[in-house]
Amino acid sequence: MGRIRSLAISLSSLTVLASGATAADVTSARSGANSEVVSMRRLTHAEYRNSIADIFGTEIEVRGFFEPTIRIGGLQAASTSVLSVTPVGFESFTKLADSIAIQVTGEKYRAKLPCVPKSAKEPNDACTAQVLSHYGRMLYRRPLIEDEIKSAVDLSHGLAESQNDFYAGLRYGLASLLQAPNFVFRMETAVPAGNKQWALDSYSRATRLSYLMWDSTPDAELLQAAEKGDLNTPAGLDKQVDRLMASPRLDLGIRAFFTDMLELDNFDTVSKDSNLYPKWSSGTAASAKEETLRTAIDLALHTNGDMRDLMTTRKTFINRNLAADYQLPFQFKGEWMPYEFAADSGRSGILTQASMLAMFSHPGRSSPTKRGVAVMDIFLCEPTPAPPANVDFSVVNDTSGPLKTVRERLMAHAANPTCASCHNHSDPIGLTLEGFDTIGQRRTMENGKFIDLSATIKGKHYAGAAGLGQFLHDDPKYTACLARKVYAYSRGVNSEDVPASAVKTAYQAFADSGFRMRSLLKSLVDDKDYFSAPAPSPETTSSAPNVADQ
Amino acid sequence: MKIDRRFLLRGTCQGALAVMGIPFLDCFLDSKGEALAATGKPLPTRFNTFFFGLGLTSQLWIPKTAGKEWEMTSQLKPLEPYRAKLNVFSGLRVPLDDNPNYQHWSGAAAAATGISPTKDKEFDSKTIDQQIADVISHGARFKSVSASSAGDPKQSYSSLGGANTLPAEPSPLSLYTRLFGPGFQDPTKEDWKPDPQVLIQQSVLSVVADNRKRVMQNLGPADRARMDQYFTSVREAELQLAAELQRPEIQAKVTIPSAPAEMVCNNSLPNLRNVTPLMARLGALALATDQTRVFNLSISEPTSQIFVPGDSLGYHQTTHEEPTDPGLGYQPRVAQYNVDMMQLFAMLLKELDAVSEGDGTVLDHSLVFAFTDQSFAKIHAVDGLPIFVAGGASGRMKAGYHVAGDGSTVSRVGLTIQKALGVSLDAWGKGSMEVKQPYTDLLA
Repeated sequence: MGRIRSLAISLSSLTVLASGATAADVTSARSGANSEVVSMRRLTHAEYRNSIADIFGTEIEVRGFFEPTIRIGGLQAASTSVLSVTPVGFESFTKLADSIAIQVTGEKYRAKLPCVPKSAKEPNDACTAQVLSHYGRMLYRRPLIEDEIKSAVDLSHGLAESQNDFYAGLRYGLASLLQAPNFVFRMETAVPAGNKQWALDSYSRATRLSYLMWDSTPDAELLQAAEKGDLNTPAGLDKQVDRLMASPRLDLGIRAFFTDMLELDNFDTVSKDSNLYPKWSSGTAASAKEETLRTAIDLALHTNGDMRDLMTTRKTFINRNLAADYQLPFQFKGEWMPYEFAADSGRSGILTQASMLAMFSHPGRSSPTKRGVAVMDIFLCEPTPAPPANVDFSVVNDTSGPLKTVRERLMAHAANPTCASCHNHSDPIGLTLEGFDTIGQRRTMENGKFIDLSATIKGKHYAGAAGLGQFLHDDPKYTACLARKVYAYSRGVNSEDVPASAVKTAYQAFADSGFRMRSLLKSLVDDKDYFSAPAPSPETTSSAPNVADQ
Repeated sequence: MKIDRRFLLRGTCQGALAVMGIPFLDCFLDSKGEALAATGKPLPTRFNTFFFGLGLTSQLWIPKTAGKEWEMTSQLKPLEPYRAKLNVFSGLRVPLDDNPNYQHWSGAAAAATGISPTKDKEFDSKTIDQQIADVISHGARFKSVSASSAGDPKQSYSSLGGANTLPAEPSPLSLYTRLFGPGFQDPTKEDWKPDPQVLIQQSVLSVVADNRKRVMQNLGPADRARMDQYFTSVREAELQLAAELQRPEIQAKVTIPSAPAEMVCNNSLPNLRNVTPLMARLGALALATDQTRVFNLSISEPTSQIFVPGDSLGYHQTTHEEPTDPGLGYQPRVAQYNVDMMQLFAMLLKELDAVSEGDGTVLDHSLVFAFTDQSFAKIHAVDGLPIFVAGGASGRMKAGYHVAGDGSTVSRVGLTIQKALGVSLDAWGKGSMEVKQPYTDLLA
């Protein structure tokens, strides 16, 4: 025990050396009564991966399982503020932490660490503290406080000594940070901002910006800006926002947003009937997902296009898998090539890409209802209520009977008043997409009959996917929904709970720019209320389950 | 400045700080240098759940007579070999009180919690397997393990309440790796010894757990509950490590196989027929080697997306869209899917019954609760959910009966199961489903 005591004494002088001058401020801000954690978001799989790659380099492998998320208000991002870490999830975080720490302290990587111990066979608290506070600051997205460094250094010391190996000790100290709640949850801390208002502290600002723009942890420059307080001034904030938005890494952030909004994560479990559609494979599925993301990013960022065109453009990107799916010749040597569907192809924006058509279908047939419900939910922010119980659907099917096409079967359905209220809402939308089968191939006939692609939506007549695309293109609900979802995504809240006033300024700027994604982003984060937080109240609740008393 | 108390306590062995260099293995050897011997305790009782979506066809599964002499029905035929170890419950009521009938959810949630759910896709309490695990899992390596034959980690009906679902292992390989991969010390081997790594990991977790006080400050109530769950999970990982230091007392003569190959796991019935027995076998081995005492297997989600290749509708759509055959009085294709599900259930029972231990099989020392979401899927009906309980709970549950509708609610089955497994409770369920009387005739 005597050894431990002397270790403790020598440590106290070391931690300060490594943790920097602002650590004390952070300590007081975080432990004092005058700060409140206003949001706590569990890292998503992608955020975790991107963060590790940015902190330690892409050579560090991240292989493990991540707990699934759910969708709230159409976004997984909202569920990250509600879900916790189950025992199964923690088990994975522990394994991942250990695997990453082994790699980082392994011989191949050691040269990159910020210091080298005098002897690799014994503890060296100064070097340990230096390494852990260096990486800890990036992992926690703020400097570590003294206690945090000390407990990790203590751990490393004890284990380095028992194993006669500095790096073995370091490994466990680092692993303890990698599975700590401060890493696996993004904590947003608010402090009083005068006039009874509260606002995020500067490190939380950096974190919110960074995960929105880059889907990753703040980089060195952003952390430094936070440390200096720059993010609390309009000029300093502007400078960083411009930098983040000018970087090609903005692609990653906006890809993450579209993956979430377009529900493309679901695509990993979409299976098709291989007897009926042998062409469909997991390769096709992965390609279809990539096609949609490329289209969205190209329009939103690379060509600074009008986001309404996402509903109508015939421009896309295809690879060999997709050429087969779309029945197109593929005469290109590279992996992906830009492609524009012909004017008479019937295609219209991402609505008619294989991803959306296949995801909202049955394994063996298309589903106008699923497609209609998805379009309403994803692009118009109008979720469809669940169908009533005790409904007999049997008239709807039986393809051997007189009702040959899905349309005829659905019309029979909609004649039932209980069903009609919702089906009249979503089905017309889905029916315009019936020119494409369950894997997104064009068709004109179903069970030997021509398919009628016309529909009446909100009192106007439309035909085919192009008609639907134009309808959505012109509907201000679509652009408003997009703006609302970006806002909800960024703050991790339910999009259905976002008041119109919260996005009013950003939406105006979005509209004024001709619906450019960059304008939306920029005006959103420039909004004076973007970092504001509700004053803490003991009554605060969310839809989180009451797990405390179980 | 002082060294933290937990750090000292956690990594200790025989009062000394193991990490400081005490010869590690001495902690686990008796005075003769042999691994600490088994104490001859009785086998632990285990609990399993089996979830299948979309129910069955009442005309074809409900036996005509109640009691022990019921004649086999066409839909229960696949369960024939286990009839003597099976209880069949028909006519159970599922009163939802003032809550909506969340389609494909309310029935499943009622069966699993005894509570009519107030939200779609969320349980209003811990599910029955977790309530039981809280009582019977002390000392097992994993408090519970769930697996999804269809390869979707979200297809788990094991929950801590609310949206906190415990994810399912989505392939035989991932299930195998969790159970028998790194961290597993084979108790069937003579030279069993604990992994020295365990003590070290304990000290790491101790440091992680020490964040608690610091992190809990300044959290709002909802986030506090979530953070509390995080630390409960840390605690469970600590218990897992503690369990890994003890040689499990087992009586089964089993051999842990090598890792299974990667397999396609999806909703296609032929694939489910390959994957389900493998997962069931791994589950049975996990129970026999006391890696876990609670194993949950699901073959589908409630809106079962299972399909037979070539059938463009698939199971769920068929239940809604297939006309009732006027001659037969039921939906013939749905009926075939129903039987397919019972075959998959039989695969689980087969594997549990195939592992001998002590005076019987793993099935004899277990209970298996099989439940579903609808009684008549076509119209989303929940009253009359088909429910099965298999196994003998080490002699505490009688089996072989058809318990016919007597007005009982589905929660009465859950209460009976918990009584048989030694869970101390007077009542189970809420609202109209709160029950105080188990099926005492079934309890031995």
